[in-house]
Amino acid sequence: MSPAIGSQVNADKASDVLVRSRARAALIPDLLVEAQRVANNVFAGWHGRRRRGIGENFWQFRPYVEGENYAAIDWRKSARDDIVYVRDREWQASHTVWLWVDESPSMLFKSGEAAVSKQSRALVLALAMAELLARSGERIGWLGVTPPIVHRHAAERLAAALMVSKTQSTFPDTSLISDHSEVILISDFLGADDQEHALDPAFQAVAEKHVRGHLVQIIDPAEEVFPYSGRVEFRDPETKSQISFGSAQSIRADYQALFAAHCTELSEFAKRTGWSHTLHHTDQLASKALQSLHVDLSASPMRGVR
Amino acid sequence: MFGLPLAFASPWILLALLTLPLIWLLLRLTPPKPQDEVFPPLAILRKLAAKEETPAQSPWWLTLLRLLMAGLVILAMAGPIWNPRDAVLQKEGPVLLIIDDGWASGKIWDQVKQMASTITGEAEKSNRVVSLMLTTDPATASEKPLSSSEVNSKLEAAFNHAIRPDHQGSAAKLNELLAAIQFGEIVFLSDGVSTGDASEGFVTALGNSSIPVTIAEPELGELAILNPIENQPGKMIGTVSRAIDTSTLPLRVIAYDKDGLPIARVSSILSEGQKSVEFSFDQPVELRNQITRVEIENASTAGAVQLLDEGNRRRIVGLISGQSSDISQPLLSPLYYINRALSPFSDLRIADTSNIEEAANDLIAQNVSVIVMADIGTMPNETESKITKFVEEGGLVIRFAGPRLAANPNGPLLPVDLIEGDRFIGGALSWEEPKAIAAFELGSPFFGLPTPKDISVSRQVLAEQNTELSSKTWARLEDGTPLVTADQLGAGWIVLFHVNSDNNWSNLPLSGSFVDMLRLTVNLSRSTNTATSGDTALRLPAMEILDGTGALTPPPAQVKPLVIEAGLWPVPTLETPPGLYGTADGFVALNLIREKEEINPLDTQELSSTLTKAQYQGGASFAFTPWLLGAATLLFLLDCIAVLWFAGMLGKFRFAGATAALVLAAGLIASQSTFAPTAFAQSKTNESVDFSAALTTRFAYVKTGSSQTDNVSAAGLLGLTRFIGSRTALEPGDPIGVDIANDELAFYPFLYWPIDLDAPVPDEETMARVDAYMKQGGSILFDTKDQINSALGSGSSTNGNAKLREILASLDIPPLEPVPSDHVLTKSFFLLDSFPGRYQGGDLWVEQTGRIEELVDRPARSGDGVSTIMITSNDFAGAWAIDNQNRSLFATIPASTGQREYAFRVGVNIVMYTITGNYKADQVHIPALLERLGQ
Repeated sequence: MSPAIGSQVNADKASDVLVRSRARAALIPDLLVEAQRVANNVFAGWHGRRRRGIGENFWQFRPYVEGENYAAIDWRKSARDDIVYVRDREWQASHTVWLWVDESPSMLFKSGEAAVSKQSRALVLALAMAELLARSGERIGWLGVTPPIVHRHAAERLAAALMVSKTQSTFPDTSLISDHSEVILISDFLGADDQEHALDPAFQAVAEKHVRGHLVQIIDPAEEVFPYSGRVEFRDPETKSQISFGSAQSIRADYQALFAAHCTELSEFAKRTGWSHTLHHTDQLASKALQSLHVDLSASPMRGVR
Repeated sequence: MFGLPLAFASPWILLALLTLPLIWLLLRLTPPKPQDEVFPPLAILRKLAAKEETPAQSPWWLTLLRLLMAGLVILAMAGPIWNPRDAVLQKEGPVLLIIDDGWASGKIWDQVKQMASTITGEAEKSNRVVSLMLTTDPATASEKPLSSSEVNSKLEAAFNHAIRPDHQGSAAKLNELLAAIQFGEIVFLSDGVSTGDASEGFVTALGNSSIPVTIAEPELGELAILNPIENQPGKMIGTVSRAIDTSTLPLRVIAYDKDGLPIARVSSILSEGQKSVEFSFDQPVELRNQITRVEIENASTAGAVQLLDEGNRRRIVGLISGQSSDISQPLLSPLYYINRALSPFSDLRIADTSNIEEAANDLIAQNVSVIVMADIGTMPNETESKITKFVEEGGLVIRFAGPRLAANPNGPLLPVDLIEGDRFIGGALSWEEPKAIAAFELGSPFFGLPTPKDISVSRQVLAEQNTELSSKTWARLEDGTPLVTADQLGAGWIVLFHVNSDNNWSNLPLSGSFVDMLRLTVNLSRSTNTATSGDTALRLPAMEILDGTGALTPPPAQVKPLVIEAGLWPVPTLETPPGLYGTADGFVALNLIREKEEINPLDTQELSSTLTKAQYQGGASFAFTPWLLGAATLLFLLDCIAVLWFAGMLGKFRFAGATAALVLAAGLIASQSTFAPTAFAQSKTNESVDFSAALTTRFAYVKTGSSQTDNVSAAGLLGLTRFIGSRTALEPGDPIGVDIANDELAFYPFLYWPIDLDAPVPDEETMARVDAYMKQGGSILFDTKDQINSALGSGSSTNGNAKLREILASLDIPPLEPVPSDHVLTKSFFLLDSFPGRYQGGDLWVEQTGRIEELVDRPARSGDGVSTIMITSNDFAGAWAIDNQNRSLFATIPASTGQREYAFRVGVNIVMYTITGNYKADQVHIPALLERLGQ
């Protein structure tokens, strides 16, 4: 008997993952730097919005318009001239980004071809994202673990919170998610065991909240390629149910088609809702997914916010 | 069992086959263990589950495979045996074993012997005595029954003969034995073929005995005989007959020459209901005349063989007439009757010119055996000597009288002296009546022919009376005057018919006797010169006889000379079996099968009351067990592959794995069947090397085992080969290294043997091979390569010398000497006065010349005056050695290109010497010869 292709591994600790995610995050340029390249839209954090609004930094002087609050007048400037100026400030508003990583047993799957389990990769991605976002001063929350916080070391704090939190067996409560926030959902999206649809109804609920979502689908290569052959008994790590096939290689093509359809369905869902969908294989580099996610976060912001 | 010749050693094991259903159940219920795999996207798989039902059981073919495996093992354990031996003897008391050991049992003789030994084995078990009677020689049957072991030893020595069984004698002997001994039963191992009335009488005698008889009869379906072959003009015709015509029998008839090489082949088919079929060889007459044996392929009986002798040859007869042939009046041509009489049994070449000189030249050039000259009186001296030579070399000249001859009675090439003029009998001026021919006398080749009554001779030439005339006369007229006279000249004959070749002088040419006489006369040509031996009968020693399987073998001691009474053709007997009698120069063929003979199966209807029929059991017993076990092993290997495939292993290894497994399986099987495949492969490669070695002349060096020495030898001989190819007419093949102990040396004219100090000394057997090689004319050049080491050429012994002495110790080497200045070696191609190699100064030692006659007991005799051994210390190979770019590998010592050139010349001289022998030595005498010739 050959050794099994896939196995279930122990969950990685968030603190261990944090170190790795920092390393990954270091590879990703500062979100700010990235954002500066984005012309007129900056969506979050201490960096200004390049428009007037509520903020701390000076943006511009402009003539007073009748009816405005007197307190807005900059008297020192106005004293030098005949015109009464109003001191505008740059609009500064931090965005709320919710992170969530699937912790179901299926995420603990790791095949021989992959370097790490899906859970490990998901945590790395999530924490690296948190690190990046924290640097940009976004409010970062972890669904079911912590409410959004703004902190330079938010990633660390998230990791610490994850350490103490219990394992989530179901999708957490989404009531805290306010409109117009960003949600990054990292999962293998295989939970919908008997459903017709590819997506868990919980995600559908999130989608209805007018948030911008980012689906990161983590796939083990074995799940896509189906390298099994001969007589194999397959076991679901979550439900423990089993199916055996007399000759696994004979259904390989069918399976691959079905799996591709599953991914397409997810991608279609994302397109419909204006969300992004990132497919990531655990045998690829984490930074690759990070970059892709980063682009999704930076590019065409607010598109999903209706 | 079940009507098949199949039995089991331990049939009860077959009961285990009943457990097969149980095994089937077990196999069905326990599928191979699946691979356990965690697989998160199970939901997706579940959609597929509907498509492929999960086999909870093994696939049917795997189950079948395993069942088959189990079944095979059980069958193998039961020990099935094909062709088991049944008991033949059923009664008690002494057994009379009668065996047909005639020609018809040729093919089944092994089975007959097998059955006979089975019977004696059974008799031994029940302690019964056996009388043995062999029907070809019934007289030797033992009067008293013998113990079965004695019979067995007789049987061991018995073999079948190429003659008919003597059933008549057997019947008499049988009655004699039956009167003497009270037999319990009779077993007759018959060959199934009737010899006519004798066989019927024998069967009747068996039936009269009222003793239970068991007759074993073989299948006669394939038994066929070859009737005598007739060499007709244009083709050779024969007939194949057979005993039973119930089936279609395809067969091939092959004709062999006297060396046993097939000359012609013809296929024919005996279809159902056809007892005989005619076939023909239509090869050219020259080819047909070489046929000495015709046989049915694979028939293995003497009946299927016809031997041909001179009598079957078609002579080429040349006809010369003194008269130009007149086409418009053929009946008046002197050659017409001769032509008609000779054409059935010979091929005629008629000289198309009346110029006798041209005609004789022409015919002799056409290789005729016989020259017939009709009425030729004189001929030119040159033609006469030519024809005389032709006769002396074995040719036959038949002359007919006529007016021209009568006018020249003292002409050449006549057996007797003639009286001038011819004798008229019964003419108008004569009182006498035309004469008839007297009966042929003993000693005449015509003896045995019926005396022709209706022939009258009215005119003849007369012979001078002398003492020899009587012995030279083959046929005479009633009044004693010779009609045919003959004389031997050298190895050939001159025969004179004293009458004309047309019907002017007698009506002999119109009679059938004329044809017979001419045939017998023509048969004389290049035939045994025994026709006129004064003996009453001809005794010919056996040259080769047919054995029981129809093969020609040297005659055993008991075969007696064949006695041919005049006019009586002998019948094959035990003492004179069919075969060739005489000497290689002239022999007669004695055949078993006569003209138009048929064979019929033995009729045993008469015996029905006391008869039990038995069958010869074809082939030996055959035990299946090892084969069944082998098949089971094969299935097991297949099963292993299948299990691996199920486990998904094969997917990983892909074809490589499968192929490896198959190769492994095949290897296992192969190793079971052939035990020494490596040795086989070895001999195979040797064969191909030998084959190529035999096709081209090439030099060889002795592999010493040291790769450096061998490489230098190879490079050296390559250099020499190229040098010789460019400078001489000899273009040798690439040099080759030989293993002196194993390789065949006969292909190499010249062997270079460098002495390697580290190489082991060859053993005795190897040196015997070397000895044989040298005696057969091979030459060996030993090279100690150590001239540089000898103390400045002082000639003191070096290590190489010591080693060489050690090697040659077991070889009786003739006395040696340094090449003398007048030796052939110094002039066999280039003129040389020294023999340098890589080193200079060392001598080349060869066999001492001049005293060869004295050394009779020397084993290594030189072939054609060539020294079989040459010894040098100059390292020739080093000087010759080149690489692929023709660059020299080693500098000569002292370094000079001239020395290398000379070294190559030495090589050329040595090769020329070994290949051409001493003919160059003869060349040196040319000046002296020219001087003697005065030129």
